Amino acid sequence: MRPMNLLLGVAALALGFAAAQPARAEIKIGFQAPLTGFAATDGKSSKIAAEMAIDDINNAGGVLGQKLKLIVYDDQAKSDQAIFTANKLIGEDGVKFVVNGSYSASGRAAAPVFQKAHVVMISAYGVHPDITRAGDYIFRLVHLGPPQGRATALFIAKDLKLKTVSAITMDNDYGQATMEGFIEAAPKYGIKVLNKYSYSLKDRQFGSIVASVKRDNPDGIYATGYFFTAAPLVSQLRAAGIKAPIIGSQAFDSQKFIQIAGPAAEGVYIVDSMDRDRKDAALRKFFAEFTKRAGYPPESVAAECYSAVKLMADAIKRAGAADPAKVKDALAATKNFPMLEGTLIGFNKLHEIIKPISVNVIKDGKFKFFAKLDNLDAFAPPEK
Amino acid sequence: MYYVDLAVTGVTFGCMYAMMAVGLALVYGLLRILHIAHAAVFALGAFVTVVVANATGSLALGFLAAIVVAPLFGMAIYRLLYEPLLSYRPDVPMIASVGLLVLMQDAFRIVFGEQGVTFHNNVYAFMTFNLFGVTVNAVQIAIVVAAAVVFTGLHLFTTRTRIGVAWRATVSRPKIAASFGVDPIKVRYLNFALGSALAAIAGGLVGLLNNFVDPSIGYVVSYKALAIIVLGGLGSVRGTLIASLVLGLVESYGTIFIGQWLDRDAIAFLALIALLMIRPQGFTGTRTA
Repeated sequence: MRPMNLLLGVAALALGFAAAQPARAEIKIGFQAPLTGFAATDGKSSKIAAEMAIDDINNAGGVLGQKLKLIVYDDQAKSDQAIFTANKLIGEDGVKFVVNGSYSASGRAAAPVFQKAHVVMISAYGVHPDITRAGDYIFRLVHLGPPQGRATALFIAKDLKLKTVSAITMDNDYGQATMEGFIEAAPKYGIKVLNKYSYSLKDRQFGSIVASVKRDNPDGIYATGYFFTAAPLVSQLRAAGIKAPIIGSQAFDSQKFIQIAGPAAEGVYIVDSMDRDRKDAALRKFFAEFTKRAGYPPESVAAECYSAVKLMADAIKRAGAADPAKVKDALAATKNFPMLEGTLIGFNKLHEIIKPISVNVIKDGKFKFFAKLDNLDAFAPPEK
Repeated sequence: MYYVDLAVTGVTFGCMYAMMAVGLALVYGLLRILHIAHAAVFALGAFVTVVVANATGSLALGFLAAIVVAPLFGMAIYRLLYEPLLSYRPDVPMIASVGLLVLMQDAFRIVFGEQGVTFHNNVYAFMTFNLFGVTVNAVQIAIVVAAAVVFTGLHLFTTRTRIGVAWRATVSRPKIAASFGVDPIKVRYLNFALGSALAAIAGGLVGLLNNFVDPSIGYVVSYKALAIIVLGGLGSVRGTLIASLVLGLVESYGTIFIGQWLDRDAIAFLALIALLMIRPQGFTGTRTA
């Protein structure tokens, strides 16, 4: 026991010193991402993008004359790890600003912890509605499911001018919520939903849904899914000779989708997908630098994490001090902030983003910009 | 036409399940072990097929490699995992089997990457034929043909060859078979080799059909094939085939009625529960656990 006590004593002393050191030279930004476990692909992209943002800010002179320092923890996209690392960030690292570059399960668990400690948190791409409901220190940088679904109904009616749709959704929170938004808005735009089908995230064989869609004979097909379900689904729809346009949800936005679905991916529309064609110097630079660091082109999650760190730095600058209470007000007052994914108009009362939605179409194996939906009222986020 | 389309889909599902489940039924019949790690063999078959096919540019070599590697792996599972545990209660090797499956899923993730592997050159997944107005995919045809060949072959093997008869004898009356000079250990290895080879073929074909092999590809096998062998009357090859086809068709037609609320796994398990309440001994009913 003795050597153990001694060790503990030394450790406590070291901690005391660390805490007593004045940390004026740098502002710490906490960062949670799933670096291991099932979501590690997204976690890796998130971390690289966040580090790039920090480097870019520091190379441009930092914020308020101080350098930014990223403090990264692995949350495995799990609630328990998110809470554990949130407490570490608050207690050990004394962090006042956090970007949660992780899934809903993490953001949802961490948000109340940060709210209670009055730490400002931006969820870069967590889509669960509860995240922002944790309180006024919490912000979100992506559209919620139901607004995405409503925007899709608008797009299908106004841009594609389709009248009848077969709807296919994965049976998780995000898929169901997005589909609910779509089904609710569809009649407003004169779209008739012929049938709705649901599939499990583990499924890769969609034969019976495909046969039913064939019988529906719709003008268009709306589907929610991740690349690993979306690609087989789209392939199987096309293999059955169904030619109707396919409109996919945001989570289709992955290079892997195009790779797996091959020729079947051609002509698929993706709503709320990153506009990669914008003639924007920052976007070009981000693409080149990310590809160099990661060895593969960036996905949406990478762009979202990069933007989240940049936005946090911008808010600290506008607040004029690294004071969480002032920074949260500055964030809430954000107007027309240039993100990689387009201009962020601002946040609503619940700190949900107000931002136009881009639609991509896949052409010659690449994402191509197709339309911009800027009828913001049609997909206004919830206020509470 | 809709009902024919659904029937084609159902039969394809069924053939896929049958090839996965038969290895499981064989192992249960012989050793009374629920060989859950069979799903890992299936996934390994799929990964070997795609990786070798991509490296050599030959799909045939991919399948060949899978048919060689998977049986070796299957026999190794028997030798290293089950054999030392045979003297314990049957749930002990079963728990070991679950452990191996979990381990292998993460091993696949580490070795082959989180995002899974795609065939570089897979024309078959996108090749379709029009048979009397029904659109059928080339890989779907391959799955049905493979299942037909496998089950016919298995039938001939167990009824027409000496070693096949010896095998069957060992499964039904191990002691008497041994007294006739059949080596039960050899039969066990044969069992694992054969079941694993079939799972590997099924894995390769499913990978080809999806144009995608990911670490969770074996997930469906791990529980659905279990349901199938229970329904088929634990250990019976014929029962497994019937149960697979029934389950495939139930899933396929089930979407008409409840596809709006439930996905097809839920439909399958509802049907399974209903069937087991009516026939707890399974379809063939000759064998009970």
